[in-house]
Amino acid sequence: MTVGRSDGRTVGSVILAVIVLLGACGSPGRIVVGSKNFTESDLLGEIVAQQIERRAGLAVERRLHLGGTFVCHQAITSGRIDLYVEYTGTAYTAVLKLAPVQDRDSVYRAVAAEYRRRFALVWGRPLGFDNTFAILVRRADAERYRLNAISDLARVASRWHAGFGYEFLERADGFPGLARTYGLRFAAPPTAMDLGLTYRALADGKVDVIAGNSTDGQIAALDLVPLQDDRHYFPPYQAAVVVRAQTLARYRGVAAALAELAGRISDAEMRRLNALADVEHRDIASIARDWLRASVP
Amino acid sequence: MNLWQFYSRNAHEVLGSVGQHVFLVAISTGVAIVIGMPLGILLTRRAGWRPAVLGLANVFQTIPSLALFGFLIPLPLIGGIGARTAIVALVVYALLPIVRNTYQGIVGLDPAVREAGRGMGMTDWQLLTQVELPLAFGVILAGVRVATVVGVGTATIAAAIGAGGLGVYIFRGVAVVDDTLILAGALPAALMALAADGLLGLAERRFAWRGR
Repeated sequence: MTVGRSDGRTVGSVILAVIVLLGACGSPGRIVVGSKNFTESDLLGEIVAQQIERRAGLAVERRLHLGGTFVCHQAITSGRIDLYVEYTGTAYTAVLKLAPVQDRDSVYRAVAAEYRRRFALVWGRPLGFDNTFAILVRRADAERYRLNAISDLARVASRWHAGFGYEFLERADGFPGLARTYGLRFAAPPTAMDLGLTYRALADGKVDVIAGNSTDGQIAALDLVPLQDDRHYFPPYQAAVVVRAQTLARYRGVAAALAELAGRISDAEMRRLNALADVEHRDIASIARDWLRASVP
Repeated sequence: MNLWQFYSRNAHEVLGSVGQHVFLVAISTGVAIVIGMPLGILLTRRAGWRPAVLGLANVFQTIPSLALFGFLIPLPLIGGIGARTAIVALVVYALLPIVRNTYQGIVGLDPAVREAGRGMGMTDWQLLTQVELPLAFGVILAGVRVATVVGVGTATIAAAIGAGGLGVYIFRGVAVVDDTLILAGALPAALMALAADGLLGLAERRFAWRGR
């Protein structure tokens, strides 16, 4: 008798749970936040998600670490995600396929206008930092050959090996233009490999120069030196939230919640947050929570 | 640019990548056979080693390839960047089906066959080479078939460590939002996997029939 009752209760609660879950899936009050497949994007996705949760009081579903620019762009234009953090220079060259430009304001304006017109996507105000490509060498090499800027690299390039990620090799604002601008010729064509593995290959001496991201926590951790872009080859890569216009119209609180984040994250701050995740292996959700509490009270 | 235009403009380069891909799969599967078959035979003689060896081969399967590359880069001889490192990783992934099928193929034989061999005064070596291996060959080949087909797909990851192959187009395509490039790598890889599956399936059927 007792057994039968408790069984009945278990079945009942399972059914209830299923109904709740099904209801949650189709619920209208749910925002989906995406991110690209690297730490900084995950961190920013989490910060944005928590900001919307605490300011707009909406349920937020996280679809972090989705993939590259391509995957996130597909996901947001098809409505699978409502927003994610993108970089102006990346959108300008990789998505809109426009030729690289140096002026940061004109890049931002062009990207914002084109995204609204073509995809009904809205660019929020920049978060404050630039994540540009960083041409990296080992500190020992930088000191030995007195390398400060990328133009110094031309002196030693003929004896050096480079390892680059596919995105850097392919992009209009990537290696071909860099090699032209600085007259770089390496001992062999650059080795094409996974971006994350290039850091390891550089630290272990398998290659001598790589192209990383300027806000990476690994730069300091692996004792690498970023060379200055003294001929201003790279376009600006300001980070900002890209959000569906439809989502903004439907949930009034979202725009205000996002506006609070504008200009709040400096280059140094982003490097610090990335290092907390990549070097000190702290949990992304707790890094985001602590940062929001301290910086956007 | 559509796929056919891409192929006609880059025919030379694509053929080179197909060659690299075949090379990566052939060498890695070959090495996996050379290591895996003796290992599988050994397990039929040393039953106590079975959980450890099969367990290890199982664990190898679960290591994500990028993580494996990360571990391999600093190692001397088998590490670094390029084809060698990629082949080491592919061998690690191909081992399990070959070891397991070699072991299963031999263990699964009717014990009466083995008894008959022993009764005829065969040594262990004669029993292995003249009775067990010929009879188990169909099953072993099935393992090689699985390893090869899976290997064709897995070998695309070699592009992550500078070893080339068809994965290069996939990585490039994903990096720059270009479906044509992704397909340019994925389509030949898929065809190659189907061809390998078909050919080895034919061989398997022949041997299975002869074994009976």
